[in-house]
Parts: sequence; C-alpha cells; structure tokens
Amino acid sequence: MDMTKTSVNVDTKPAKTKKKKGKSLEKNKARMGWFFVLPFVLGFFFVYFPMIVQSLQFSFSDMERAAGGGGYQLTWNSFKNYNYALFEDTEYLKILISSLKQLVFDIPAIVIFSLFLAIMLNQKMRGRAVFRAIFFLPVIVSTGIIESIDLQNTLASAMGEATTTTGAGGSGASGANIIQAIDVQKFFASMKIGTQLVSYVTGLVNDVYNIINRSGVQMLVFLSGLQSISPAIYESCYMEGASAWETFWKITFPMISPMILVNAIYTIIDSFTTESNEVMKYIINFNDGRYTAGVQAAAMSWIYFVIVIVIIAAVAGVISAYVFYQRRD
Amino acid sequence: MDSMNLPQYDKKGKLKFDDQTPFWTRMRYKYLSMYFLKRAALVVFRLVLLIGISYVVIFPYISKLSSSFMSREDFVDVSVKLIPKYPTLDTYKAIINDNKYIEALTNTAMISIACGFIQMMSCALVGYGFSKFNFKGKGFLFACVILTMVVPHKTLQFSMKMAFQYFDIWGIGGFLKKAFGSADGAAYIANLYDTHWPLMILSFGAVGFKNGLYIFIMRQYYKGVPDELEEAAYVDGAGTLKTFIRIILPMSVPMLVTIFLLSFSWQWTDNFYVTMFYNAKTNVFFPQIVNTIPKSLDTRYVAQAAYETAIRNTSGILVLAPLIVVFLFGQRYLIQGIERTGVTG
Repeated sequence: MDMTKTSVNVDTKPAKTKKKKGKSLEKNKARMGWFFVLPFVLGFFFVYFPMIVQSLQFSFSDMERAAGGGGYQLTWNSFKNYNYALFEDTEYLKILISSLKQLVFDIPAIVIFSLFLAIMLNQKMRGRAVFRAIFFLPVIVSTGIIESIDLQNTLASAMGEATTTTGAGGSGASGANIIQAIDVQKFFASMKIGTQLVSYVTGLVNDVYNIINRSGVQMLVFLSGLQSISPAIYESCYMEGASAWETFWKITFPMISPMILVNAIYTIIDSFTTESNEVMKYIINFNDGRYTAGVQAAAMSWIYFVIVIVIIAAVAGVISAYVFYQRRD
Repeated sequence: MDSMNLPQYDKKGKLKFDDQTPFWTRMRYKYLSMYFLKRAALVVFRLVLLIGISYVVIFPYISKLSSSFMSREDFVDVSVKLIPKYPTLDTYKAIINDNKYIEALTNTAMISIACGFIQMMSCALVGYGFSKFNFKGKGFLFACVILTMVVPHKTLQFSMKMAFQYFDIWGIGGFLKKAFGSADGAAYIANLYDTHWPLMILSFGAVGFKNGLYIFIMRQYYKGVPDELEEAAYVDGAGTLKTFIRIILPMSVPMLVTIFLLSFSWQWTDNFYVTMFYNAKTNVFFPQIVNTIPKSLDTRYVAQAAYETAIRNTSGILVLAPLIVVFLFGQRYLIQGIERTGVTG
C-alpha cells in the first residue's frame, strides 16, 4: 500500500508542477535577464545616453557661464557651430579629408597584415608563444601615455634637428628609421609598376611600425577563427590533391570571412578613435576649456562621428554581402 | 665496397636503411632531398620574417631603455649609439624624487585595480545576461552596446566633463533641490570633479573605456557554454543567481582574468580620464610625470631635444615597468582567453 501511494505521488506531482513551472520559469528567466543586464541599462540610460544627448545639444548651442552660482546656460543657435566647423575653421575640413584618405589605405593593410601574421602563427613551431606575446605587446603597451610620449618626441625631434646636432640615436620614437623606403622605391620603380602603387607600398613600409602596433587584437581574432576551422576539411583537401594556394582561397578564406568583417569594423573603430588620429588630435587640442571652443568641438566631433557611422555601415554592408557563414546543425 | 655506399631498395622500390648503411649516406639521403630543402627554406623564411617583425616591435623599447641610462655627455657624443659611455641612474632618480612618482604609482594602481575589478564584474554580468536569457528589448539593448563601442569617449569629452562636474540624473536631482529650496541654489546634485566617483560610476554602469568590447567578448564566451550545465544546476534547486555565482563564474576565470588585465592595463596607461576627472595639483597621476622635466636635471645645452626626449622616455619606462611585470604573469591567460572566445560573426 505504502509503496503504491508514494509512487502515485511521485508520478503526478512533477507533471503538475512542470506544467506550471514551464511558464513561470520562462518569465522568471526573462526577469533574471533584465537583472543581469541591469548595470548596463542603468549606466547607459542614466549616464551615457544623457551625455550623448547633451553633446548633441551643445553642438547646436551657444554656451556661457550661468549668472547665479555654478552651472552653465545654453542658447539655441541652430547650425552656427556646424557652419563654423565646416566653412570658417581653416584646418578642420582639410585634416578630416586627409585623415579619411589615409584610413582608406591603412585599413586593408592592417586587416591583410594581421591575417598574414595569424596564418603564420597558427603553424606549429618552436617559440610560437613568445612571438604571440611579442605581437600582442603593443596592444597593452602602446596606448594612452606611451602614445602621447611618442607624439611629443616626434614633435621635439622635428624641432630639434634643425638647431642641434644630436649624437646618440636615443630618440627611439619609432622603428621607422630602420627601414629605408628608398630601396623599396627603387626596387618597384625598376619593375615598372604604376607610380601610385609604388607610393602606396612605400607608404606602408614607412608606416610598418604603426601598422604592426595596430594589428594585435585583429591577429588574435583571426587566430581564434583559424583554430575553429575543422582539420578534417584540410585533410580531405589534401587527399583530393589541392595545393596550399588553392586550399587557402577555397577553404581558409571563406571560412575566415566573418572574422574579416569583424576585424574590418574593429579596425575602423580603433583607428578612428585613437589619439594619434589626426582629426581626434585636432578636436582634442581645439577644446581648450573655453566654452565657445567646447561647443564648436562638440559640433566637429558630431560631424566626424556621423561620417564614421556611415563608413562603418558601408563597409559592413559591402563585406557582409561576400561573407560566407558555415551552417552548423 | 662501392656497393655498400649505394642505397638498398626493397621489393616495393622503397629506400631501405639498416645498421650497415654508412652515416654519411644516411645523412645525404635524409637532408639532400628536395622535400627537406623546401621545408627548410620555408622554416628559415618564416623565422626571419617573425624575428624581423618582433625586432620592429621591440626595438623602440630597447632604444628607450638604453637612452634612459645615458648621461648628458652621451647625447653629444656621436660614437654613442645604443650603449652609453657614461652610464648613470640620475634620470631615474630625478624622476622618482622630483616628480612624485611614488604618489602617482599608488594612485594609479588603486584606480586601475578598482576599475579593472568593477568592469570585469559588471561586464561579466551583462555579457551573461545577453548570452543566456531571452527578454523583450534585448536586441535594442545590444544595439546600444554597439553604439557605446562606436562613439569614442573622446568625442564626448566636453559633455562628459560637464556631466560629472554638474552631476545629475536627467535633471531630477536639480529639480528636487530647487523645489525644496536648497541653500546653494545649484541645479545639480553634486560636483564630482576631482573625486573617484566618475570612473567608478562609468565602471559600474559598464560604459567605461572599451567596455562594449568586454561585454561582446563575455557574451561570445558564455554563448559557447552548454545550456545543460545550467539546467543541471536548476534541477538541483539552484536559482539563476546562485548558478551564476557558484558555477558560471568559477568556470570563466580565464576570461575574467583576460577582461581584468585588459581593463587594468588600459586604465594604467590612460591619460584621458585621469586628466579630465582629476585636478592635477591634488591628485598626481602618470600624465603629469611624463609631461614635466624634473628640475634637478639641467637640460639647457647643445643636445637639449635629444636629452629631453630621453627623459620623457625614461618616465615612460617607469610607467610601463610595473605593467610589464603584470603582463608577463598574465600573458598566458590573456592570449588564451581571447582565442577561446571564438568570436564568430
């Protein structure tokens, strides 16, 4: 008797609660989801969002110190600040255009270079961990303060060289002086390729330190992508007699293409927002604490920001049309 | 004798080696083949390339390090390149003594550890929320995360400074203050300039420096964690929060270390937030140390530019030295952690 009673209880109870719990669990999980993202929701809507709105507001206003006590006063002036940034300021537009041109060249170079490095570091060899650590070092080290030191040094050496003769090569601002671009130029000139391509390549060679410094994270993203490709695919390729070249274009490249999208966007964001970006430098220097300069800088950064978003959307649109996603079921 | 030196073939036409094969013959057939030469060339090419690139990365730091030990005589001497003729520690001493280096170090260490830890926790929470739960508005919120990634904080500089100098939440605090007739009549809650609050608020809200990236990394990582793990915990009677704290967090320690190290080191070398949120006179941080030439070093002579550059580089080395130590310890976690996310689209 006892046995059957308990067994009946065990059978019915879970069925009942399961039905009831199925709904409440889902609801509960949704609630818990909100709980988990709560820090971001608070941070975004109470701190970040007002900041964005305020910056937008600044860019459309005149600003002066409020008459009574602390605070400031804004008066709407429609597009005056934008007008100033685009047409009255002599430097801004010039710098913006030249820096955009520079980025058009830099971004493919960084993405291709980091893919190349990742493929090389994905092969088994001795000292792989050391090389990875070295290539990742700039991500940690060459930001913020160190970047600003290097900037100051290049300024100082540009000014100093005219007046003084320095002995020690202790400037160490960059490794760029190791590589003589003249040789490369000669080499390509003798190959009779178009001058534009030559100047592009020599530009890259001159800038190699910069490019290596900026491709650390991208390299790791590519590495993680390469490691997620199943070795079985390569094996079957090898069995079918495909060469390494064919294997790269038919297997590695399509499989890695989502990473190319991610990295292209990351590179754009990264190079648009670093301090060494000319436009960023100009905006930051322009904003010297005066209220008029502040609102004008806000306008400049909004122009810049809209351009960045448009470029990201365009690049994402173009690349994602060619991206190959592997179906996993 | 001659036939001994020739290689022997077995029935299938394959090379046959035995104990009788002379050493040099063996070596010749092993290393003088096209296959081996090809591979060797590839390995050498790869090694040269990797070492070359490593050299480009590391050389500036070596040159900075060597110039930091130089005395002012070395900068006029043309024969000095990397190894100083009159090595000295004066530059280090001057920076540490004159520029309040120790104070800046402790201040920065405190802030970086606090920021790293808080950002690690809040980004892990948010990332977990985005990866494992379905709720209304999730897509919209994630778009907001992307937005925080795309809009650089530096372009928000002015309004960010204002937002914390006249800190208020949607003007509610100021409104209440006015409504209740506060004494100072200011239309904001508090002036947070020159306190630790701005950085802490940004970190708690997961909207600090590159926090969008951290949220993205954590989300990718937790997406790879099988759901069965949590279901097992639920069946055993653990709640969502308990599951997160007792099972998910301990499991994701490598990723957490990654986030901590990234946020720690970016805060360590940061010169944007600390100059914006702190008064340089009361709170000393690294940017001031780097930007001032110590008084006890007399730089006014022939090679002034080179010497001042070397002094700045020395302070750069003093900034980086503690960070490099941390990096060496955490390097393994860092690189493994980022690789493990498998950021797929």
